[in-house]
Amino acid sequence: MTTPSIFSESVCFDRFREIASHFVKLHNADVLLTSPGFGECGQSFIGLFPDGELVVCAEFLAVSSVDSYADSIVLDVKDFAFSDDRPTIGYVSYECGQAVRSVSTEKSTQYPFVHLKKYKAVLVHDEAESRVKCLCADDELTFSIAQEMQEAGSIVDTDLPNISIQDVSMSLNQSEYEDGVRDTLEYIKDGLTYQLNLSTMLSLRLDELDPAAWFFALNKNFPAPYYAMFQSGDKHIISTSPELFLRVEGGKVTSEPIKGTLHFDDYYPELEDELTSSPKEDAELSMIVDLVRNDISADCKYGSVIVENHKSVFAVDKLLQMYSRVRGELAEGRDCLDLFFNAFPGGSITGCPKKSSMELIEKLEPHGRGPYCGSVVVINGPQDMVSSIAIRTAVYDQTTKDLTYWAGSGIVIDSKPEAEYLETLAKAGKILNPSQS
Amino acid sequence: MKILLIDNNDSFTNNLEHLLVKEIAGARVAVVPHSDVLPCAENVANEHAKLSFDVDDFDLFVLSPGPGKPQDYSGYGPLLDSGKPVLGICLGMQIINEHFGGRISRLEGCFHGRTEKIYFAGHHLAVARYHSLYCEIVGQGLEVIAANSQNVPMAIAHNERPLLGYQFHPESFLTEDAGVFIDYALDFFGISLL
Repeated sequence: MTTPSIFSESVCFDRFREIASHFVKLHNADVLLTSPGFGECGQSFIGLFPDGELVVCAEFLAVSSVDSYADSIVLDVKDFAFSDDRPTIGYVSYECGQAVRSVSTEKSTQYPFVHLKKYKAVLVHDEAESRVKCLCADDELTFSIAQEMQEAGSIVDTDLPNISIQDVSMSLNQSEYEDGVRDTLEYIKDGLTYQLNLSTMLSLRLDELDPAAWFFALNKNFPAPYYAMFQSGDKHIISTSPELFLRVEGGKVTSEPIKGTLHFDDYYPELEDELTSSPKEDAELSMIVDLVRNDISADCKYGSVIVENHKSVFAVDKLLQMYSRVRGELAEGRDCLDLFFNAFPGGSITGCPKKSSMELIEKLEPHGRGPYCGSVVVINGPQDMVSSIAIRTAVYDQTTKDLTYWAGSGIVIDSKPEAEYLETLAKAGKILNPSQS
Repeated sequence: MKILLIDNNDSFTNNLEHLLVKEIAGARVAVVPHSDVLPCAENVANEHAKLSFDVDDFDLFVLSPGPGKPQDYSGYGPLLDSGKPVLGICLGMQIINEHFGGRISRLEGCFHGRTEKIYFAGHHLAVARYHSLYCEIVGQGLEVIAANSQNVPMAIAHNERPLLGYQFHPESFLTEDAGVFIDYALDFFGISLL
């Protein structure tokens, strides 16, 4: 048990972002960064000087060993995260989700199932209070961090790389993706799934990318509540997610599944009605709300699971997105990691019913999802955690200079193959065509 | 009151568990995967057509929704022939129908994640539907007790045995007044709560 020495001072969000940028460049800090104006999600974190990590590596998952392996992952994560009361930051991959849901795969993956770190110091910024505090057991280090915070300069505006679609290789190109949609429609007609999230993987070599500069420029230009930059070996996980998977605060559980997308060039309020009055988008969201209710109910008190703000709308990346809020309360004897792993991966990126949809995704997608559709998480204790669904997420490998990005769309019975492909491209817009997005 | 909720690989089963506990005073619900308790191919230890539990240990059995078709979930026969009350939801209803020789077919256009108002036991309520398949022909001894405007069976009941099925999802947050459907089931099974 560490007793953190805490300093707390007034810092606005923009300044905190400069501080984050400074610490990433100088000390390879890991960062979870919100953007102003997204309500109660306004906490950001900088993890400095990791002094402990848990890497659960993916192995080839034989069908027979899936269950026991999943149990051991959960125990390992609990042992690590709850070993002391310092925050734990990291990510859990989609493949870990396949393991815990007993979905076998023969694809090899270059990503660990779980990569979590603890740090000598964590800076926490609260947007509503405009304050930053430092959690650190070492007075001398706390002092030097406070000094260094003063030295952080402004973020130099850099142009976002404009990537031509011709330079990008896709695991499913347009015609293959549209074939995948058609196959999915047949699975839907057979009752194997009601909704399935089909993704494609985009990759290209980008020699001159400065991942930190790119990350902070994206955050400035495309605000979203769950940005994260996390170093995992040679790879930078760069997540620009707008989606909350699970927040647990003193045992109170919130999930905010997003479903229903409308791309726009110029916003006007009637667009929101267009989105909320679409029976297709409505059904997409409703299914996932029922799925998320189910997923959190496994660890929530009877009678505590409720739906609020059904069909709310927010704008992100020139997309209107519809979401709902599902709340619950952790049952006696359950912690946030029981909840996390029983609900993982998030329903909005699998489809419904979950296991059957995941088995179909495994057949339909030639690529592995890696961090995409996994989760970036900060665990503050057994009853306190924030985790995003890692959509709009890229990986930059510093050694190979490969940039990998994934994008997908929820397929339902009314889906049109071409429209779903275009929605998928729109979600890749801030990476592919940032100047037009 | 002891309820065994048998899960057919579904993602709404916990919602059903919470609904049963909410609507049935004193309900204790055990949730088990179908492959753990039914004599199906996946469960070699029970290949001699035996259930892995004693039916008399429970007052009510609930068959969950699930992906796929009834033929994918073999082994419900002994339970359905036991004389114990069984409530089937969605796929669960189709499993009951299949057992009595009914026919399950693809539903034109499917119906997922949306509600429809149906007349049910004197009520007119919006119910959530999630199904690609439907009971085209109901099995022997089964009766359609509620249907939608297109005559798609929404609830079926056996005319001699305590077997009841709902095609819609009372456990969905979209379903209006879900307690009506649970009360009706208890009444139909002759289960008194006191």
